[in-house]
Amino acid sequence: MTTTKQKSKLFGPKERRLLIDPLNDNNPITVQILGICSALAVTSLVYKAVVMAVAVMFVIALSNLITALVRNYIPSQVRMIAQLVIIATLVTIVELTLKANNYAIYKELSVFIGLIITNCIVMGRLEAFAMSNSPWRSFLDGIGNSLGYGIILVIVGIVRELFGRGTLFAGSPIQLNIIGKSNESVQYLIDTSHGWMSWYTNNGLLALPVSSLFIIGIIVWIQRSYNRKLVDVS
Amino acid sequence: MHSTGYIIKFTVILTLISGLILSGMFYATEPAARKNEQVFAKRGILTAIEPYLDKPLSQFSDDEVLDLFHTQMDQFVVNTKGEVLKDLKADDISIEAEFKKPAEARRLPVYVYKSKEGPITILSVYGNGLWDKIWGYIALKPDYNTIAGAAFDHKGETPGLGAEIKDNPAFRKRFIGKKIFDDAGRLVSVHVKKKVTDPAHEVDGITGATLTSDGVSDMLVHGIGLYEAFLKNKLPKS
Amino acid sequence: MELVNIFVKSAFIENMVLAYFLGMCSFLAVSKSVKTALGLGMAVIFVLGITVPINWLINHYLLSENGLFHMDLTFLRFIIFIAVIASMVQLVEMVVEKVSPALYNALGIFLPLITVNCAILGGSLFMISREYNLPESVAYGLGGGFGWFLAIVAFAAIREKIKYSNIPAPLRGLGIAFILTGLMGLAFMSLAGIDFTAFLASK
Repeated sequence: MTTTKQKSKLFGPKERRLLIDPLNDNNPITVQILGICSALAVTSLVYKAVVMAVAVMFVIALSNLITALVRNYIPSQVRMIAQLVIIATLVTIVELTLKANNYAIYKELSVFIGLIITNCIVMGRLEAFAMSNSPWRSFLDGIGNSLGYGIILVIVGIVRELFGRGTLFAGSPIQLNIIGKSNESVQYLIDTSHGWMSWYTNNGLLALPVSSLFIIGIIVWIQRSYNRKLVDVS
Repeated sequence: MHSTGYIIKFTVILTLISGLILSGMFYATEPAARKNEQVFAKRGILTAIEPYLDKPLSQFSDDEVLDLFHTQMDQFVVNTKGEVLKDLKADDISIEAEFKKPAEARRLPVYVYKSKEGPITILSVYGNGLWDKIWGYIALKPDYNTIAGAAFDHKGETPGLGAEIKDNPAFRKRFIGKKIFDDAGRLVSVHVKKKVTDPAHEVDGITGATLTSDGVSDMLVHGIGLYEAFLKNKLPKS
Repeated sequence: MELVNIFVKSAFIENMVLAYFLGMCSFLAVSKSVKTALGLGMAVIFVLGITVPINWLINHYLLSENGLFHMDLTFLRFIIFIAVIASMVQLVEMVVEKVSPALYNALGIFLPLITVNCAILGGSLFMISREYNLPESVAYGLGGGFGWFLAIVAFAAIREKIKYSNIPAPLRGLGIAFILTGLMGLAFMSLAGIDFTAFLASK
């Protein structure tokens, strides 16, 4: 009981905002324009998007925490290199862990694991937040931003996988076959081999990385129609 | 502002700490990573003979895969003249490295799966796709002519188009039952075509990925061609 | 001749931004006017052209198994590559400041941004995974940088024009920028598969 009480003290309204804001008002991808490269490359499957989001969460949360802990000792002249060394170490840990535990997904993500280092969200949050805030709040900021990043990744992944391949979570143990032509080896929830859905075919465009640009563009459009304060006035 | 001495001290300590953590991680995870790498390659080979296995490949555990290669798989290496090279195992051959050599100097890995229907021979092929390297395994039935299965992989083909050679099981299945020799006993290999005119030796390409399909076609003609002497020795003399 | 092929391929066919979507953050953020796009583009050519060969040397002579230490040190690759990139960027910044203050003022704020441009680290990582040799990696670095330059200048030109178009308010700015990049990417896809090897060999 004591721990929860202590947590609630540590977890006031300000801390709550750190977690909630990046989901909508200050979303890293659609508002801050950070971390877009990887959002495009790894969203062809939801499973890949989830693994990427978890990897990024690990890296941002811990690099924010570590940087906030040592921020007073970092000489300003080598600030950037010091931050990059911390990030690169964490990313290498992610890479080695994936390689030893899930080789297939390691192969799928290939260079994009390494590119987490230059994922602007990580660097951006270190500069903008962790260099001037307490470790605990920096940690929360990292979690919040990676959630905001992950949520866009997963939405794009769902659209691309469902309408591009007809499956969800393919590649993971809980693969769902939603829509497509059933045959003896695969059964789909919505069978398009005959019946009223037989006009449907998977949209090949969505399998291409380009399509995620269109989807994010549309997400931005929808978000800004509801959230008028984000509209670009220039 | 910090002094130069402090900056150097800070940098050295930071680098040392991260270097130590990483080398510790590396040596702790390396055995597992190396095993995963082996199993991953072996699963690629087994994909070509999946219909002949006792259960779907995804239900095999890593140890079962390694075990299967010990107990039910023979492996050896041949040269382009069809001679078996002594003291070499197919596992030791990197097909990528072999394809950097001139064609006649290449050493070619052969795996033989001891199935209930007789030996299934698995050949390795390697070539260029649209963007980058592609490779594959072709399994032949005991007559050394009919294709029992095929599996492909690639380094960087377009997801949803060229990458379907790996991702789409239907593409692999199109190869089953095709013949690599014609009626006169000449090696014609299998071609990937937009329009199939000769169903015994041709398979349908992937829509929208003509260049990757052409790459697969060239890879099969060239790659199986290297095994010609070996296969001809095995064919029943008529 | 192979080098020309690699340059052309990395600049047009396998364009960093439009085929692999690397360096999107700065591509979207710094493309509001052609002038700034020119500055950033030039800085990218410069830094990619330097860092890819340097990282090749480091990877080949220090980190690989037949390198100086005879040990597989590839797990240090990320740290070393990013450190090289960060220090090169700083060095370039200092040199440019001394040699040409005018250029420094034009590039000024963009140089530090480049360190976290995915295209730079991506260039080095692709150079490893494609197993280029030293001259090839020079050609690849310069070609990739040139392709990035071309893409961001073209994109900035489009954005300058589109400012005067009547776009639904919520789509203005970022939204339409995403969709435009997508359309440019689709256009660049039609270049896929062009191979100059045979053409160059016939000359």
